[in-house]
Amino acid sequence: MNFEAIIGLEIHVEMKTKSKMFSPAPINFSDDPNTDVTLLDMAFPGTMPVVNKEAVRNAIRMCNALHMHIDQELWFDRKNYFYSDLPKGYQITQQDRPIGSEGYLEIEIDGKLRKIEIERLHMEEDTCKQLHFSNYTLLDYNRAGIPLIEIVSKPVMHSGEEARKYVDKIRELVTFSGVSDGKMEEGSLRCDVNVSIRPYGETKFGTKVEIKNLNSIANIEKAIDYEIKRQSELLLLGQDVRQETRRFDESKKETVLMRVKTDAVDYKYFTEPNIVPIKISDEFVQDAIDTCPELYDHKLNRFINDYNLDIVDAKILLNNIEIADFFEKISSFSKNYVPISKFVITEILGYLNKNNLLIKDFKVEPKYIAEMVDLLKTGEINSSQGKEIFAKVIKENKSPIVIKKESGVSLISDEDTIRKMVIDILAANETLKADFKAGKDRVKGFIMGNLMKQTHGKVNPAIANKIIIEELKK
Amino acid sequence: MNYLDLTIKEIHNALLEKKVTVTELTKEAIKRAKENCDNAFELILEDEPLKKAEELDKLPVPVDNLLFGIPFVSKDNFSTKDIETTGSSNILNGYIPLFNATVIEKLENANAILIGKATLDELAMGGTGTSGHKGTTYNPYDKTHSHLIGGSSCGSAVSVASGIVPFSLGSDTGDSVRKPANNAGLVGFKPTWGRISRFGLFPFAPSLDHVAYFTRDVFDSAYLLNILAGHDDKDSTSSLEKIDDYTTYSKDIKGKRFAVIKEIEDSITDEVLNKRFKFILKELENKGAIIERVSIDKRLLESIYPSYFVISCAEATSNNANLDGIKFGPYYGGKTYQEVMFNARTNGFSNLIKRRFVIGSYALMRENQHDLFLRAQKARRIITNKFNEVLNKYDYIINLASPSVAPEIGKASDKLSNEYLIADNYLAFANFGGQPSITLPIGFKDDLPFGVNVTSKIFTELNLFTAANAIEEITGFSNLSVNNYKNKEEK
Repeated sequence: MNFEAIIGLEIHVEMKTKSKMFSPAPINFSDDPNTDVTLLDMAFPGTMPVVNKEAVRNAIRMCNALHMHIDQELWFDRKNYFYSDLPKGYQITQQDRPIGSEGYLEIEIDGKLRKIEIERLHMEEDTCKQLHFSNYTLLDYNRAGIPLIEIVSKPVMHSGEEARKYVDKIRELVTFSGVSDGKMEEGSLRCDVNVSIRPYGETKFGTKVEIKNLNSIANIEKAIDYEIKRQSELLLLGQDVRQETRRFDESKKETVLMRVKTDAVDYKYFTEPNIVPIKISDEFVQDAIDTCPELYDHKLNRFINDYNLDIVDAKILLNNIEIADFFEKISSFSKNYVPISKFVITEILGYLNKNNLLIKDFKVEPKYIAEMVDLLKTGEINSSQGKEIFAKVIKENKSPIVIKKESGVSLISDEDTIRKMVIDILAANETLKADFKAGKDRVKGFIMGNLMKQTHGKVNPAIANKIIIEELKK
Repeated sequence: MNYLDLTIKEIHNALLEKKVTVTELTKEAIKRAKENCDNAFELILEDEPLKKAEELDKLPVPVDNLLFGIPFVSKDNFSTKDIETTGSSNILNGYIPLFNATVIEKLENANAILIGKATLDELAMGGTGTSGHKGTTYNPYDKTHSHLIGGSSCGSAVSVASGIVPFSLGSDTGDSVRKPANNAGLVGFKPTWGRISRFGLFPFAPSLDHVAYFTRDVFDSAYLLNILAGHDDKDSTSSLEKIDDYTTYSKDIKGKRFAVIKEIEDSITDEVLNKRFKFILKELENKGAIIERVSIDKRLLESIYPSYFVISCAEATSNNANLDGIKFGPYYGGKTYQEVMFNARTNGFSNLIKRRFVIGSYALMRENQHDLFLRAQKARRIITNKFNEVLNKYDYIINLASPSVAPEIGKASDKLSNEYLIADNYLAFANFGGQPSITLPIGFKDDLPFGVNVTSKIFTELNLFTAANAIEEITGFSNLSVNNYKNKEEK
């Protein structure tokens, strides 16, 4: 018997705004615990929430990227429950009127575009971070009040692969729009998955199982695929799927039970009385959209069309927005776009991988990389000299032109000198010209080889090549 | 002559004329606060106010700042930096805030002097002035302590009525300033919702909560609004609407239209009060005002109180969820976080508060929300629309503020009478709609004061003070207090 899996995703994205959703506390992930805290974040009596405009702008940008209807009147609600990580005893969220509704995004499955519908997008605030120990718990209020966007898909996905691609697309949108770091491993993008299965042809949904605590995009796929298999086996054995919350155990590569869900908690939602409904003007919405940093698809097109990159290289660069940005900075100093892209991909990414570094640790001025590429392109240095100089550029963050001058590294580029050497080689090997005219192209390589031997590799290959052809044709 | 028995403006003139110093005033206020035996204070301050008074005495008295050196009292649900603020609840015993409420800040900047924190019904929930953790607060007009002052701003009312200070801060969620003003013979005023920042006011039910205050005359009330009104970045519900100079209210009542809600008037059976009310209306007419009776469906008036109760309890249960014994207030221990919260809230709240929380939670539960909370919100909207409809045709709505003088302590009211269902609880309509509303004294019965309430359209405070001023001119009850009452006769 075959089953159809029904998958819906809830994604929480931590925004990287300067301050919190409703308080002026700064957000800085590297700060000491409990230092980015204002009175409101600890819920001192009499403090009141004030909506962060930047967070609203971010939410609008995401709504736009996800083709959503934008509600231009902001309403907030209280979600009431007692928990040690919830300072106010309620969370301010948007239950009844989310800012975004009825949207979609597109992913590629088997070479075809598939539309994934999105039900809603709303703003809310994060809770305290809890650090549990054997007999005590520490609370970090730095996280309390950080703005979140929650994106809820419709239950329209059917495989782990679809879910993975969906999350990857969301991650790409939030990072490219500058809304979030989108790092699952650091918790700035969190994903809860709902999975149920039903026999093909059945219209009623099966019992839903929730999977929490997924810390990488790869694990989403693995967890879902495992869960589909587990539920299918249960049904085939004639057993019921229980409504429960599970987590993914990375070492065992399987989902394990966290808790059986009884009746859903009643959060006693009601409209937040300390925030009156806020009208958002058309201008504000338009401005948020117009000033949104360029999204992936647009950038990809531009890299291919404006920089003439091939799609594979463009995608490699765009895999990480910081690397793509770095490429564009370099390209503002030189028009050798394709060589720059190759240099970034092979030399810079290679260096980072080898040394286990991130692009933000790479402190070389983009201008120096442009100079580096230009030196190689014009043949003023060869690739082994290039490697030497590049090592120094990285070490000293210094212009490769200066390094080249200081170290005396240079190639013989003087045309007269090279021409004289070529003429000498031709004179010593009288058959060469005739061989060349007879169509033996390898003659060129032979002469170049001799030049290199004589100069210990220091002849400028581009200029030498030009002169060899000129002389052979004489 | 004791200067504390004067109004703000009169005290200011005395300071200007150097008849009294700020230090003398402050010392006298503290002395009177200590001598008071009506249970009006959570805390009487001494060192800080005297220090500030001495500093102020070194400065010239500014002509244009009437609050310079004026002692005042704040209800103990306004956050005061470095000064314990309990909301008259055990759950906040020992809580010393890190910040000042915006209104406290504004008064400090105006160099008014805070001399004490006044008692209230626990966390401002209650109308009797009997439920604070220090017990019942008494009506200073009755030395036998057998009458209520009313609440929830009970201590604030006592402190002004007893001549301890010429004004005090209170808060008004249903009628918590305007009702005790009736029982204390004071001017009790709340402006439009959003006119004064609520930042730092402990929330009871934010959609109904107002910063409000007591004074002994209408001019002082108008002047205080000049100081307290205005937008505050820390309270996004505070209004950007322009501020008037509220002391420039017109003294001319001619042509102003008053609506008396007939059903409220009819529900009051006390003949002394009714007679006096009719006399006031007659005098207003003599001054050129137009008085008309307007009808509002009794069922609508009767639903004010239950709707108020459901909405306020629902909001209250959420607002006070932060009081969990983890961040501030007494810590009662526990093995788990649930136990810590449970112990703190079990020990910290009185049964009356727990009852309200249970009712509020019940009204918000998924299966009840539609029939209780949302229905109450709908009723609120219908009631507000009806009163606004009246205010679109009339400048004011005027009725007796209460069906009686201050009730006797422990005397149960008939909860099914018209008097209770309508006249005793109708003032909350102005919390529903956020309209400015003022209670001021018009007479005495058995040596206990009673008052009238006037309400006008939102953001028409200037016009409201015109009506209040006209009534004050009629009664001559300017600067009424327990001390001054002996020397005054009803007109």
